Amino acid sequence: MATEYVDAGTAIPYAALSASVGKAPPVAKGVNYDRILNARSEPQNWLTYYGAYDGQRYSPLDQINAGNVDKLVPQWVFQAGNLGLRSGATTYAWEASPLIVDGIMYVSGWDGQCWAVDAANGNELWRYRHASPFDVSLCCGNVNRGVAVADGKVFMTTLNAHVIALDAETGKKVWDQPYGDVRAGESATVAPLIVKDMVIVGSSGGEFGSRGHTDAFKLETGERVWRCYMIPKPGEPGSETWPDDGEAWQRGGANCWITPTYDPDLNLLYYGTGNPCPDFDGGVREGDNLFTDSGVAVDADTGEIKAHFQYTPHDLWDYDSVMEHLLFDLDGQKMAAHFDKNGFMYILDRTDMSCIRAAPFVDRIDWGEVDEKGNVTPLVFPDAEGDPVHFWPGPAGAKEWTHACYNPNTELLYVPVQDVGATATRRRREFKESIPYWGAGVAVDGEDQTGYVSAYDPRTGQERWRWENEHCMCSSLLTTGGNLVLGGEPTGEFNAWNAETGDQLWSFQCGSGHHSSPSTYSVDGKQYIVAPSGWGGWAEGFLPKMLGSSHGSALFAFALPD
Amino acid sequence: MPPVKPMPELDKQNGITLGRILGRGNVGEAEEGSDGVMRATIRIPEDELVYDPGVLIVPHGGVIELELINDDKNTHCAVLPSNGDTQFIWLVNHSKGTATLELDGPGYYWYGSTTGNDEGRGLTGAIVVGGEVPPEAKLDRPPQPRP
Repeated sequence: MATEYVDAGTAIPYAALSASVGKAPPVAKGVNYDRILNARSEPQNWLTYYGAYDGQRYSPLDQINAGNVDKLVPQWVFQAGNLGLRSGATTYAWEASPLIVDGIMYVSGWDGQCWAVDAANGNELWRYRHASPFDVSLCCGNVNRGVAVADGKVFMTTLNAHVIALDAETGKKVWDQPYGDVRAGESATVAPLIVKDMVIVGSSGGEFGSRGHTDAFKLETGERVWRCYMIPKPGEPGSETWPDDGEAWQRGGANCWITPTYDPDLNLLYYGTGNPCPDFDGGVREGDNLFTDSGVAVDADTGEIKAHFQYTPHDLWDYDSVMEHLLFDLDGQKMAAHFDKNGFMYILDRTDMSCIRAAPFVDRIDWGEVDEKGNVTPLVFPDAEGDPVHFWPGPAGAKEWTHACYNPNTELLYVPVQDVGATATRRRREFKESIPYWGAGVAVDGEDQTGYVSAYDPRTGQERWRWENEHCMCSSLLTTGGNLVLGGEPTGEFNAWNAETGDQLWSFQCGSGHHSSPSTYSVDGKQYIVAPSGWGGWAEGFLPKMLGSSHGSALFAFALPD
Repeated sequence: MPPVKPMPELDKQNGITLGRILGRGNVGEAEEGSDGVMRATIRIPEDELVYDPGVLIVPHGGVIELELINDDKNTHCAVLPSNGDTQFIWLVNHSKGTATLELDGPGYYWYGSTTGNDEGRGLTGAIVVGGEVPPEAKLDRPPQPRP
């Protein structure tokens, strides 16, 4: 045997052992604030998280329409796959919303993954993988909701609470800024938002007793511009809603794990904030607990809170309000629509966050009553230690984080609905950093659940149509100028409905459930609809009946036949 | 409570188990150079199907240079975590190579050998990165209790 070792060389990137090209065209160099501001004027692209700052998830593209959508077929499939032991090994899900810039798709996956993909054929152009600690505290699974693109860079957050900038041509890291404390149970899953010369992100960790915040960094360098906490310190506005003799505010929650919408005229970012902590044990945090479970308007330049509306004061049901605030103008009024976990739809005046009207959007609600101006009367809640209490909606909410949409042609809002309850039994526990801090044992109903897609008239709060499903509906919806609403089912079907009538027009079985946000775009005049399929996340929290479903890890692009 | 047994039959192939149970092995520490790079040597001893040390502790996030030595009479590899992309090195019998990794701290990372003969039978190691996040990433609140 030779005594000298064979030279094994130096370890190489795994992508070098694949067909990954390693380079993308420089299309992202031209993306700037002005283009994102006018994103809907270039409907071939999906330039920002919701498609546009208003969060409507509406595209004027109409090549695929209610008259021909039944001919839609898959054009290509991008498979992400898995390798080795990773963070949240069994909780990964594909929750992202793909962005498209001039024929190039930028999309994130779980476990720190990001890809540039040729949007016409699905070929991988480059990949980036941020190494994610196996033991990071994940609030609701190993997920990431998407990227932002501007100034030749792709921005994403990582499970261990960094925001990073990648070179959009090569996928190489340009800068890296940690903005959360993994030892305090913080993580990051939010899709960043570009506003002016800033990239804006928020914190996850709402079940671990953190102090929720949103942060802005300079696009070019990663230098911090501002941080806004959603739980006030003693003496700050809102602090009177927390016990003044305790430590509750320090662990109060109100994380910002969903991308805000933005009104450039008012220069306000609209956040939904997460649950208070501990989720179900209100005895250690008497008061309304601002700014948990709220819609919060934040000055984009300073990070200062300008106005708010609290949907569920002193939450005892885990009713996060992180989900989007859809911005639209109707009858001369600047409105924001919000479908809350608590089962009520709210139409707000977004200039001051006052409530114009509130109305229920799910059949079964018994946790409390909400009047038409949003005033709350709690009725059923975990109170006595060790006593099981059942309530509707459960902590999954009548609508989860997945997004509603608004079509300016029909002037209707479309919402995915989860009609499922849960039983919570209060169990007080002491707080320790990085340990889940629920204050209860919780079991979401298994068999007794249903779901639907509903259309609502924002003028009246009345339901216009409903498409009923056997299971909760847990995917974001997309609406288009082709008079369509599109979204996926937990059982893998990706569907199209008539936006005016709710008639189902088309369906394709993707093989794994949908818990993501589909997008639409066109390349060389051909319209595509892209849907990530990859069931998982905290399914035990919103649809335990489907916990055993195939995870999957595929991105489907659909178009009409040539 | 019965006394804890060392159970050496778990620390070998085809003992109690078919392969070598994952995550067992020695603990070692990387050394930090004056250049701030942390360095360590990891060996694959003959017929043990384990990286040695099986748990490598590095003091904080940053750049880690590994020397990887296969002293075994079989071919293995290492698929290692690193910011940017997973790093791969093929290690034929009696070979030696290097890997440069960039890892954040705190937290720990698994790595392993994905050759067809190895996966599930052993050769899974951990890199444990200690430390705290930088002050600017911490929450503005008084110190909190930890477990």
